[in-house]
Amino acid sequence: MPARLLVYLAYFLASSTHYQHTKQFFYDLLENPNSRMKAYFDVFMICLVMASVFLLIYEVDTPLTRMDMLFEQAIVAIFILEYLLRAWLYNDCHKVIIGYHEHTQYLKIPFRFTKALGMVVSKKIDYLFTPLAIIDLLAILPSYRPLRILRVFLIFRLFKLLRYFDSIKLFTEVLASKRFELFTLLIFLSFVVMIGSTAIYLFEKPSGNPQVKELFDAAYFTIVTVSTVGYGDITPHSTGGRLVAMSLILSGLGVFSFLTSILVSGFNEKMHVMRENRTYSELKRHAHYVIICGFGRVGEHIATQLAKDRLHFVIIDTDEKNVQEAKQRGYLAIQADASKNDVLRNAGINNGATAVFCTTGNDVVNVYITLSSRYLNPDIRIISRANQEHNVNKLYQAGANDVIQPFAIAAMVAAEYIGQPVAFEAIQGILRQENQSGMEAVAVLPGSALVDKSTGELDFAQRKLILIGVISSHVAHQRHKNRYRVNQQHFYFNPAPHFVLQAGDLLVLLGRNVSIGHFRSQFPGKKHRP
Amino acid sequence: MKRIAIFGYSIMSVAVMTRLRDDKYQLLFVGQDEQEAMLMADQGFTSQAIDFRNDDELKAIGIGRDIDVIFCFFPADSDNVFLTISARALDANLTIIAVVDDPESADKLLAAGADKIIDPHEICGRKAHEMLARADISTILDNTVFGQHDLNMAQIEIPPGSFLQNQAVSGLKLNAHHNLILLGVVDKELGNGLHLAIGEQEHWLAEGDVLVVLGTAAGIRAFKEEVARVSGG
Repeated sequence: MPARLLVYLAYFLASSTHYQHTKQFFYDLLENPNSRMKAYFDVFMICLVMASVFLLIYEVDTPLTRMDMLFEQAIVAIFILEYLLRAWLYNDCHKVIIGYHEHTQYLKIPFRFTKALGMVVSKKIDYLFTPLAIIDLLAILPSYRPLRILRVFLIFRLFKLLRYFDSIKLFTEVLASKRFELFTLLIFLSFVVMIGSTAIYLFEKPSGNPQVKELFDAAYFTIVTVSTVGYGDITPHSTGGRLVAMSLILSGLGVFSFLTSILVSGFNEKMHVMRENRTYSELKRHAHYVIICGFGRVGEHIATQLAKDRLHFVIIDTDEKNVQEAKQRGYLAIQADASKNDVLRNAGINNGATAVFCTTGNDVVNVYITLSSRYLNPDIRIISRANQEHNVNKLYQAGANDVIQPFAIAAMVAAEYIGQPVAFEAIQGILRQENQSGMEAVAVLPGSALVDKSTGELDFAQRKLILIGVISSHVAHQRHKNRYRVNQQHFYFNPAPHFVLQAGDLLVLLGRNVSIGHFRSQFPGKKHRP
Repeated sequence: MKRIAIFGYSIMSVAVMTRLRDDKYQLLFVGQDEQEAMLMADQGFTSQAIDFRNDDELKAIGIGRDIDVIFCFFPADSDNVFLTISARALDANLTIIAVVDDPESADKLLAAGADKIIDPHEICGRKAHEMLARADISTILDNTVFGQHDLNMAQIEIPPGSFLQNQAVSGLKLNAHHNLILLGVVDKELGNGLHLAIGEQEHWLAEGDVLVVLGTAAGIRAFKEEVARVSGG
C-alpha cells in the first residue's frame, strides 16, 4: 500500500503543472544564473549574512536584546528554509521513483518501498555532502542552543558569501583546479616543518635555550620562520639551530614563491572564462540582440552598421586578434568556436538573440554554424555568407533564411553602375538612408485607420512621401496591374488611386525618416482587449 | 555599343562578365598571362593576355581609343592602382571601376583616377545589415529592380529644348501618366546629390538635370522616346 501511494504521488507530481511551476519559481530564485530574481535574492542574502556576522561581533561585549534575538532567529529561519529549498531543488525525487517503477515493471519484479525510499534519500545525501551544502549547514548549526559551544563557528556564515559572489566562486574553482599542485606543496611543507621542528628541538633543548622547552615551541618557531613572519619571540641560540633557521627561511621563500606561481597560473587559466562570463552577463542586460559569427571584413561592416542603428550585438570569433580588435572598438566579443552548441547557447541563441549572421570567410564553417543555430532555435533569423556560388543551396538547406554572396553582389553593383551610375548611386543612397531619408515598409496593422482606405485618399504627396508600392498576400488585390511575385507575396508597384488597403499590407514608402515616422504614428493598430 | 575591358582573373571578374554578357556590351577580358586568358576563353569570353605595366600594350587593346570602361579586378591593390594611373593617363574620359581589398587603398585608387571603388566586403556587410534592418525593402528591390522582374530604375537626362524644361517637378505626375515613379532629380549645377521628389521644395527642371525613375521597361522606354521626340521636334 505505501509503495502504491509513493508511485501514485510520483506520477501525480510529474503531471502537476502547479508543482512544476512552483519548482521552476524556486529554481529561478535560487539557482538559475540567468534569472533577475536570483540576482536580487543574492543581494538580500549577502545583507542577511553580513547582518548576522555584525550581530555576532556586537554580542561579544553587549548582551543581545529580545529584538536582537528575534532578528537572529528570523535570519536562521531564512537560512534553514534556503537550505531545505536547495536540497529540494537538487534533484527530482519523483523522477527517481518513476524510473525505478518503470524498471520494475519492465523486468516484472516487485516494487520495493524501502528501496525506492533509499534511492531518494541517497540522492539527497549526495547533496548534503556537497561543499556549499556543508557551509550552509555550518552556518545554521551553531544557532542551535545545545550547540552554543560551537557559536564561534557562526563565522562560517561568511563562507556562505561564496554562493553569492561569482568572483569568490572563481577563487574556489582556481584552488580546486590546482589541488594536485597545492597538495604536493602541502606535503613538502609538512616535511619541512617536521624536519625543522625536530632539528630545532634537538639543537636548542640540549643547549639550554629557555624559549624551547618542548617540541611544540620548536614547531611554533619553525612555522613562524618558514612563513617568513619571524616574530622574534623565540630565537635559536646554538650554531646548529641558527643553521636550521637559515635553511628554514630559504625553504619558506621557495614555498611561498611556488604557492604564488600556482595561484597566478590558476588565475591565468581562468582569465579567459572570467572575461567570457563578463561578456555574457553584459549580454543578459539586453532584451534583444544579434549574434555575429566571424569578425572579418564583412562582420566588421555589419557591426558598424548595427552600432550606427544602436542595436545590440555580440561577436563570436575563434581568432584572438579579431576578438581584440572588436573589443577595442567597444563591442561585446567572445573568443570561441561558434559552431559549438554551448557557445551559441551561452550567447543566448534561445534567450535574447533575434538573428544570427554567419560571416566567416569559410563556407564549411558557415554551413556548420547555420546548421547548429537552426538546430538550437528553429525560429531565429539566420543570414549566411556564401563565398562560392555552389554553396548557396547548401546554406539554405542548413537552415539559412537569407544567403549573401559578397562577390556576386559586388559584381552586380559594378555591372549596374556602368549602365546608369546616377540612378544606381541614388538607389544606393536611399538604401543607405543618407540625408535622413530612405525607403521603409510601413505595416497596415489590424484595426488601423488605414484599413479599407484607398491609396488615393491618403494623399502621400501632401505628407511629403512617395508611395513606391504595396507588398501584400491579400487576394482582394489580385485584379490590380503591376503585380510582381516576391516569395509568398506580391509586390504591387505604383498602385492606382483606387487600390484599397487591407490589414497585413505593407506600404513601401520613400521620404524623410521624420515623415515616415509621423505617418506611422498617425496610423497605429488598435490594441486588442483580452 | 560600349566596349568594356576587364583586367584580372577573379570571382568578381567572372561574375561581372557573366552579368554583362546578356547586355549590349562588347567585353574583353585581359589576363596577366596566357593561362588566365585561356580560363576565360573557355567560358566563351573574348580574352587576351598582356602586360598591363606596358602602356603600348594597353593602347593596343584600345585604351585611349575605343575602350569606354575598364574594370580593375587584380587581386593586389597595388596592381589596380598602377593600372588606374596608366589608363587615366591614356584616356581622361575613361570610366574606371576598381575593386579594393584593403579599405586603406580606396583613397589611393580615387587619387589615381578611379571613378568608382568596389569593396566586396563592405557591400556584403551593408547588404547583410539591410536584410536584417529592412528585410522587406531589400527583398523587393532584389527581386524586382536588381532581379529578373520587369521593373527597372533609369536615369533620364533632360536634353536641350526639352518640353520638360522649366516644368515644376510636382506637376510631372509621372506615376499617373507614365506608370513611373519619380524618385528624385539630380541637378548637376547643385552637385551630384539626389533631391527626392517629395515636395519639400519646388524644383523647376532645367537642361542637364537627371530624372531618376523607377518603372517597367516599357514605361521607361516610352517616356524616354517622348522626351527625345519632343526635344527633336
